[in-house]
Amino acid sequence: MPEPLSRLRVADAGVVTAVEGEGSMSVRLLEMGFVPGTRVEVVKIAPLGDPLELRVRGYHVSLRRAEAAKVVVKRA
Amino acid sequence: MIAVAGNPNVGKTSLFNVLTGSRHQVGNYSGVTVERVEGRLAARFGGNETTTLIDLPGMYSLTACSEDEAVAFRTLAATGDAAPDGVLLVLDASNLARNLYLAMQVLEQGAPCVVALNMADVATAAGLPADPDALSRELGVPVVVTNARTGEGAQAIADALRTLVADRPRIVAVGGDAFARVSEAMPPATSQARARWLVTTAAAGQLELASAVEQDALRPIDADTWAQAARELIVARYAEVDRLLQIVGHVEELVDKAPAMTASQRIDVVLTHRLFGILVFVGVMGLIFISIFAWADPVMGLIEDGMGAVSELVSDALGPGLLTELLTDGVIAGVGNVVVFVPQIALLFLFLGLLDDSGYLARAAFLLDRVMSRLGLHGRAFIPLLSGYACAIPAIMGTRTISSVKDRIVTILMIPFMSCSARLPIYALIIGALFVDRDGESSGVDRGLVLLGMYLLSTVSALVMGFIYKRTILRSPTPPLVLELPPYRMPRLSNTLLMTYDRVKDFLRSAGTMILAMTIVLWAVLSFPREDTGAGQGGPTVVANSYGGRAAQSLEPVLAPIGQDWRVGVGIIGSFAAREVLVSTMGLVYGLEADDDDPVQLREAMRDAKNDDGTPRYTPLSGLALMVFFVYACQCMSTLAVVRRETRTWRWPIFMFVSMTSIAYVAALLVFQVGRALGYG
Repeated sequence: MPEPLSRLRVADAGVVTAVEGEGSMSVRLLEMGFVPGTRVEVVKIAPLGDPLELRVRGYHVSLRRAEAAKVVVKRA
Repeated sequence: MIAVAGNPNVGKTSLFNVLTGSRHQVGNYSGVTVERVEGRLAARFGGNETTTLIDLPGMYSLTACSEDEAVAFRTLAATGDAAPDGVLLVLDASNLARNLYLAMQVLEQGAPCVVALNMADVATAAGLPADPDALSRELGVPVVVTNARTGEGAQAIADALRTLVADRPRIVAVGGDAFARVSEAMPPATSQARARWLVTTAAAGQLELASAVEQDALRPIDADTWAQAARELIVARYAEVDRLLQIVGHVEELVDKAPAMTASQRIDVVLTHRLFGILVFVGVMGLIFISIFAWADPVMGLIEDGMGAVSELVSDALGPGLLTELLTDGVIAGVGNVVVFVPQIALLFLFLGLLDDSGYLARAAFLLDRVMSRLGLHGRAFIPLLSGYACAIPAIMGTRTISSVKDRIVTILMIPFMSCSARLPIYALIIGALFVDRDGESSGVDRGLVLLGMYLLSTVSALVMGFIYKRTILRSPTPPLVLELPPYRMPRLSNTLLMTYDRVKDFLRSAGTMILAMTIVLWAVLSFPREDTGAGQGGPTVVANSYGGRAAQSLEPVLAPIGQDWRVGVGIIGSFAAREVLVSTMGLVYGLEADDDDPVQLREAMRDAKNDDGTPRYTPLSGLALMVFFVYACQCMSTLAVVRRETRTWRWPIFMFVSMTSIAYVAALLVFQVGRALGYG
């Protein structure tokens, strides 16, 4: 069942099904490689509980939970 | 002109340095605050006077989400005379899965292009093959394997740049209804590259960056359609990237594991650990702070001593007179006022460069984002703000790492509230003079506590002002994080030194001349008219009769309500050169030789000074009011000169000066009047 990426825990992985919303944030997420069909893994959560460290398309990127919530994934 | 483009952290600037050597010009792109660095292709690669390279800001995409990207697109897509002769696109061979996306956009533009496949050694070690021939065949442009660390491939790049061939734009086919619909709505004669840029830029809510004709044609399209069209376009580009990855042999399972990050993840076990990570962070920040605050001090002392020695030589050689004073108190002091900042600027940029190069700066932002985003700022604002405690000048220059213009200006406006090291001699003078009794013993108020109070006041004020600016005149949403955590790499000292050298040179040229001019003006204000020259060099009478002295005397009605007299007023005017000059200017007023570090006589003179009616001229309350004034007042022309350099307009330095002086006056007024009403002083 698809769910927001922000709900995944450390070491969980999923496949992007969509990036929700309009505006610069969703364009940016898509251009950074969060296109449907891409595998994403949660690597770490920052000490203060936010942001997340994610692995996508062969690199690591940090997103805030609010930003990660726009990415919809299906757990792998 | 050759534009050098690439993602951040791919060795783009290193390669630029290899190709151009050490002579760079640092400036700004016209009309914006984005830094522009250009250099000439070095002679050893067969460069001549005409081959200029521009190091574009690092970017993931040409879509104008930030000013950096807007500038990069404008440079790459410029037409006519401004059009680039070619593009050097630097790709990280160990992360083609993301890097090739920018390549798709750049190749759409159709400018002749050469690809540098950098870090091929890292890629090979990580098990990702680097196949320049296959990539060259597929992209239709020359691909050269480079290693910016060793200089490998630089000659081949230079050769390829010299034989650039005009190319047709490489356009990736896009299927999808929304994309087709918005493409039809484009004004006639819109190039495909332009149309694609408009799609993602409009979807990002930045349609105002388009031309008037384009805006008119595209305004009817709703946000939903833009979003859908942009999605179709981006998905199509990434599909093409995936196809290329297959061809060069980057299989999906391998890419998914991010092999280039394996070693970095082991380091991050410590560096972003919930306990050790924060300890290391505090240690690193402490080191930066101590170095700017303390290590720079001996060098600054040497510079001051050196300037003093030169002054003495000049006055010995010329004898007393107006010219001597102009040279010593105006020109030489002015040069000193400029050069004295160099150690702190150099140290801050050295640290910023090494931290950025190594990949740690991104981790620091990762650790701190939760706190900084509450303020509405990016994690990158932290180091500049912290540096503000040492000196606002390097701190304000350090805000260049913040990409959002509004957030950068918010940070610049916050920095001068931080109690910098130049305020310390003022606090020390006042606390030493007025918060002690006759024998120099404590007068019941803990002096350390008063000092701590000033630092707390300045910190809280900076945060509150930032909060206010962010929500009023510089209102903008909290900047997105979307922060790459690049692989750790051994930082390269030579690159950082070169970067630091470029910034220092730029400071001396642009802000330095302004500071020098202001010092001379200030000297004139406190030295003319010279009706009574009999008092000798800079004697008390000259100062009192000077324009500055007279201004301060006529300002007494304004100074009295905050507990000050005209003598302090002269000091405030003099301290505009640099806050600590208050001490020596006050010394002049009292006809004393006042040492900045330990002005014993001046402390005593201030403590003993009486009004005509025999009451003490200065009280602890008036001293407190003066310190509060200095917490807030922007008594530093160098800060204003640097703000002008960084924002490229006089608007912000004027706003900063007027607002901070007003706040300072009101705060000092409150302290003095409320204190008096409560029976103190």
